Order: sequence, then C-alpha cells, then structure tokens
Amino acid sequence: MSAREFGELWALSQLSPGIHLVALAGLIGQRVAGWRGAVASVAGMMIPAAAITVGLTAAYGLVAAAPLAKAALAGLAPVTGGMTIATAALLVRATARRGVRHAIVDLAVAAASAAAALLFGVPTIAAIAAGALVGTLALGRERSPSRETPMG
Amino acid sequence: MDPLLLLLVFLKASALSIGGLSSLPLLRADLVTPGIATDEQVVQAIAIGRISTGPNGLYIVSLGYLIGGIAGAAMALVAATVPPLVVVPAAALARKWLLTTRVAGLVRGVALATAGLLVATGLGIVNATGTPAWWQIALAAIAIVLTYRGTIHPAFVIAIGAIAGLLLGR
Repeated sequence: MSAREFGELWALSQLSPGIHLVALAGLIGQRVAGWRGAVASVAGMMIPAAAITVGLTAAYGLVAAAPLAKAALAGLAPVTGGMTIATAALLVRATARRGVRHAIVDLAVAAASAAAALLFGVPTIAAIAAGALVGTLALGRERSPSRETPMG
Repeated sequence: MDPLLLLLVFLKASALSIGGLSSLPLLRADLVTPGIATDEQVVQAIAIGRISTGPNGLYIVSLGYLIGGIAGAAMALVAATVPPLVVVPAAALARKWLLTTRVAGLVRGVALATAGLLVATGLGIVNATGTPAWWQIALAAIAIVLTYRGTIHPAFVIAIGAIAGLLLGR
C-alpha cells in the first residue's frame, strides 16, 4: 500500500461514526484482502483488546470494595474528568487547524454546545443534532474536505 | 438491564459520535441519569480503558462489563465495532459523496458539538461525588494539561490520580 493510499483511507476513516481506528482497520483490511480481510483485521484489533479490558475490569472488581480502592477512586474521578475535558480541547484543535478565523468559529460552536448542556439542560442528542445541522449548512464550505477532520 | 436494550443504548452512542471517547456524553445521559449505571462505574471504565490496550473507545466494553457482566461486555464490543464499519461499504459505493464539503461540515459540526458536551460531561464527572477538594481540582487540571500535550502515556496519568487518591482521599 502506498503512502497516498493510506492517507486516503485514513481521511475516510475520520468520517466514520464511533471509533475511527475500527474504520481504518476495516478499510485497510478490505483494500488488502476484500471483506474477509476487513473482518480479520477488525477482529484482530478488537477481540484481544476487549478481552484484556474485560480481564482488567474483572480484576479491579475483586478489590473495588476495599477502602484503599475507594480512596484511589477519589483521585481517579478528577483525572478521568480532566481527560474528558482535554479530549474536547483536542477535538477543537483538530478541526481548527486552519487559522484564527476557524479557531474562533469552532470555539464558538463548542462553547454554545457546552452552554446548552450546562446552563439550559438541552438533551445531549439535541445538541448533537444541532451540531450536525449547523455543520452541514455552514461549516463545510470554508475548507476542503478530508485530511483535517478530527482524530480520536 | 436487558442485554438487548443495553446493546441499543451502546449502538446509539457509538453511531451518533465521532471518535473514541465521544460516545461518553450520550452514554452518561442514557445510563447514569436514569440510574442504570453510576458515575463511579463510568470513572472506573474510563480509567481501565486508558490503561488497557486498543482504542480509547473500548472503555465502553469495561462499562458494559460493569453493568451486565460478560453479556454486557459483548454487547458493548458489538456496538463499538459495527457503526464505524459502515464507512467500508460507503467508501466502496459512494466515495465521492463522502468527500464532499457537506459531509466534512457535518462531521465538523458533530465533533464541535460533542466537544462542548465532553466539557460538560467532564465537569459532571469531576463534581460527581460532591464539591471537589482543592487537590482534586489540581488533579483535574494536571490531567487536562498532560492529556492535551499527549507526551506521557495515559496509564501514568491514571496512576498519578490513583496514588493521589490513596494519599489524600481518606
């Protein structure tokens, strides 16, 4: 596979719903070996990782009720909350790579969504639908597609 | 919770999000708000998802296990795997359409709306167990900076949180 081909598949994967790495694995597998390749590459990525995740979760479950684990959780909550906020910043950074005007527009849309959820109790799904509508109508024309779409 | 219902909740969150952790606001609305899961379970799932191998979005497998055991984890795995794969036939059938400015705008709009929701969700998690103490606010700030910069492995950031909790959380 050439670098250009990989770049194109990567750009397509960034348009997928859910986990982009799954889409990328499926696209590469399909390109290399048809639908069987897609199944094999996605299964090869997801099944071992999911098994390890379940194993870690079950192991944590054995000690979760202990006082020490409860204390650790008091430190894990702010850390995972902070990681979630940082993910938001990374999403905005990924879409706003094209200069100041883009950054301002992107920050405004993200801030409106945060305010809708925090201050006005707008349902999550309604905020996503509003973002989809605003994006389709107004945010696609400022730039060429692909390549600059968010990672994750 | 009925595993099929859980599958639908996870599928919805996966199909309507763009990027790994982006499913979190929808899952928190559908699972924590009605009392099916707790914020403690969400925190555990995110932490384990960051320590484990594979994409960050696999935290939902951990959450599925915490809610519904092996069946719950299997439902979450299916829900994490199937929606992104719609792009494979879509790329084969309608590649040109996928690369139009409208689709780019749609993806950008959803990503930005999700970014705002992730801020709200992150603040909700930090505040989940009552008003945070000074050291918890400091931990959140450190986690934001370290995750944004991305120069150290997330498992270390998780470890910093766990150690700080052990020292100060009692």
